[in-house]
Amino acid sequence: MSGLIAFPFISPNYYVYMLNYMAVNVIVAMGLNILIGYTGQISLGHAGFFAIGAYVTVLFIDKLHVPFFAALFVAALLAAAFGFVLGLPALRLEGPYLAIATLGFGMAIIQVIGRAAVFGGRNGLLVSKMSIGPYVLNTDKELYFMIIPMTVILVFAARNIVKTRVGRALVSIRDSDIAAETMGVNVTYYKTLAFAISAFYAGIAGGLYAFVIGFINPGSFTFILSILFLSMVVVGGLGSVLGAVMGGIFISFLNLKLESVQYIPGFGDMLVIISKKWMSVTGLPNISSIIFGLILILIVVIEPLGLYGFWIRTKKYWKTWPF
Amino acid sequence: MSIFSAHDLTISFGGIKALNHVSFEIEKGAVYSIIGPNGAGKTTIFNCISGLYAPDHGEIIFQDMDITNLAPYKIAGLGIARTFQNIELFSRMTTMENLMLGRHLHMKTGLWSGVTLFSSNSKVSREEIVHRERVEIIVDLLDLQSARDVFVGELPYGSQKLVELARALALEPKLLLLDEPSSGMNNEEKHDLFYWIKDIRNLFDVTILMIEHDMNMVRDISDKVLAINFGKKITAGTPDEVANHPEVLKAYLGEEDA
Amino acid sequence: MFLQLIISGLSIGSLYALIALAMVIIYKASEVPNFAQGEMAMISTFVAYALLITAKASFVVSFLGALLFAVLLGMFIEFVALRRAKDPNILNLIIITLGFEMVLYGLASWKWGAEQKHLPFPISDTDVIQFGTVVVSHLDIATMVVALIVMITLFLFFRYTKLGIAMKATQQNVIAARINGIRTNRITSFTWGLSSLIGAVAGILLSPVATLDPNLMMDPLLKGFAAAVLGGMTTLIGPVIGGYLLGVIENLFGAYVSLEFKSVVAFLIIVFVLWFKPSGLFGKHYVKKV
Repeated sequence: MSGLIAFPFISPNYYVYMLNYMAVNVIVAMGLNILIGYTGQISLGHAGFFAIGAYVTVLFIDKLHVPFFAALFVAALLAAAFGFVLGLPALRLEGPYLAIATLGFGMAIIQVIGRAAVFGGRNGLLVSKMSIGPYVLNTDKELYFMIIPMTVILVFAARNIVKTRVGRALVSIRDSDIAAETMGVNVTYYKTLAFAISAFYAGIAGGLYAFVIGFINPGSFTFILSILFLSMVVVGGLGSVLGAVMGGIFISFLNLKLESVQYIPGFGDMLVIISKKWMSVTGLPNISSIIFGLILILIVVIEPLGLYGFWIRTKKYWKTWPF
Repeated sequence: MSIFSAHDLTISFGGIKALNHVSFEIEKGAVYSIIGPNGAGKTTIFNCISGLYAPDHGEIIFQDMDITNLAPYKIAGLGIARTFQNIELFSRMTTMENLMLGRHLHMKTGLWSGVTLFSSNSKVSREEIVHRERVEIIVDLLDLQSARDVFVGELPYGSQKLVELARALALEPKLLLLDEPSSGMNNEEKHDLFYWIKDIRNLFDVTILMIEHDMNMVRDISDKVLAINFGKKITAGTPDEVANHPEVLKAYLGEEDA
Repeated sequence: MFLQLIISGLSIGSLYALIALAMVIIYKASEVPNFAQGEMAMISTFVAYALLITAKASFVVSFLGALLFAVLLGMFIEFVALRRAKDPNILNLIIITLGFEMVLYGLASWKWGAEQKHLPFPISDTDVIQFGTVVVSHLDIATMVVALIVMITLFLFFRYTKLGIAMKATQQNVIAARINGIRTNRITSFTWGLSSLIGAVAGILLSPVATLDPNLMMDPLLKGFAAAVLGGMTTLIGPVIGGYLLGVIENLFGAYVSLEFKSVVAFLIIVFVLWFKPSGLFGKHYVKKV
């Protein structure tokens, strides 16, 4: 904990920015895990909720001069409302149909944002500095002290939700919705609730993300981003709080590193040579997509519980060593 | 006094009448068994009672209330719990968590209060503790101590059946539906189950409706038996009456060629 | 005007129908909506481009080469990943197809970059034939004819050939098929190859009107899903009708309601259909037995 507080004072600014970025993703992963990992409902459209959070927060602050916290809260509630609405058809849908419906939702949101003038169209919106009352948060360091505590609170809130009655109801739906119903769980209510909670988390994260990056446009919220969110949950470990945190951190780290993959010593040079010979150098950053794809496939084939599964196995190994 | 009655239950799937005007009535506190060959419609009756199927015709009355078209969770809320023929447990939850889910209707913690679980003295924690104590009684009764913190998916079949029974009991039902409780159990397990069902009836003030193939068990613990075949009621009465009914014998033993 | 819209709707609709058909074939075999379907078709189209432009092969060789590649790619994906999933529930299988979606997208962007290319095509999309007031381009006619031929061949294939019947049997009941001596693993692999082939046909037919880049199939993929959902994913005729319907509806919406939001129609259709008829117009709904 004290490490988290001291961190921005001892490390270069880029790493502070990186931690902010990771924290935002951890929030999304946490919410998405409640939906996918705990309730067993898939979503391939979380970039849509993320976008709603970002755009609504920014517009409320810039156009209506609403204070930051109020704007963020309204944006997250709006995202949750969209989540609730999207969750309604989900009640009657099984896996494949739900995946398709959420995919369509994510794509439709981007279409609408990209075409409407109020959202800045394809060009996007510049985000002004975050201000809390009279204070303006100018640097990544100041943002850090805003974002990290919120992340910690949201992660603990999620942990508490899944550990108590609501969480058990969600898991019961995942494992057997029929038995859940006959044990008195209102499946309709809890499924839509799970959608709303995870959309709320994505909305908050979206609102914070806008300030971390400083600029938003439709291109930042594509289908690929939805898959990236999904891979955080899958890689971290479905149905585990620690897993969502690990997955969020790991995938965001990888994403940042792979954006400039050609500058990684050794590996990057090798890739540049391969690119010149067989592929194209301009297309090199797309390697991140290949790596994420491979990770997703390997996780399912090797360890469906993800990093959390590896962690459990390692722990078991040490506990029982040398047997 | 009858606690439960079904009148004229009829339901068909794609032209086949799974239930054809079935009526029966259960006295409060009784153990009532349904027997019949495979595919006779026994589980279909259960599914109608717990609201998973909507009957085409007929009505189901529980404690003088028409529950025919209620949602399953509302029916559970009135105090009807059940087990399943092919075990429907929450396999990636521990035994304890499964049973705590059984307390779902008796607990109050919602989303907001759940979030505030920050100390062992909070309202949420206290509620968890109270209900854990209730659940422990059931764990002790059914000898499930060793399974307490095991994922139920990893338990042997016989124990899984018991956990399912325990989960249904955790709901504190007034009417308990048991779908082939002894299937897949060995003789020793069956023997234990037989005593437990008796205990449960005496201790928990519950009426039991049971589908069972083991005729010895049915004869020993049932107050009344309903026999059905091809979705139709053959007869109902005391175990001995039913067991000696010519149509029942025919359904079970087949018809002799004259 | 109206008739014109219908005709061009049917032309694009026949491509949606092909994509939907490709997805449904896989859905029936592996019970997973194949999110890599679009990229499989996209990269096959790029193979045609590479053979045609880089290797300077003839149209026939390039297109046949691309189709062969598509078949192998489909079988490969099934072989290396899908059948190896540790816990093959629907979520995990979806994740695998998403994984391949990203891998193929990354590979294509790495190799061919993001700049838009043009795939030369032997049939013109500007030469037209006039039927009364309706004008149809040669390409539109070719598209409709090819799609129809593919679909009819496919129906005959499933009806009359040994392999087709084995595929149907495997789709309906793997265990029963295996007991009856069908090598179900191999059949599932073939099914993926076949589906990939159909998708590639759609990709090649689409590329002359769209521009060839890694995003080629992003939008058509959603359309294909919409068509499949609209028609229902349990039959083969459903997605075909769904595809044609979607093409026409989309065109009419673009002309009479809003051109801007034309591409949102597919999503609206998905939502409406799932809301009122969750298994599509022609699908059957199965209830889990307890």
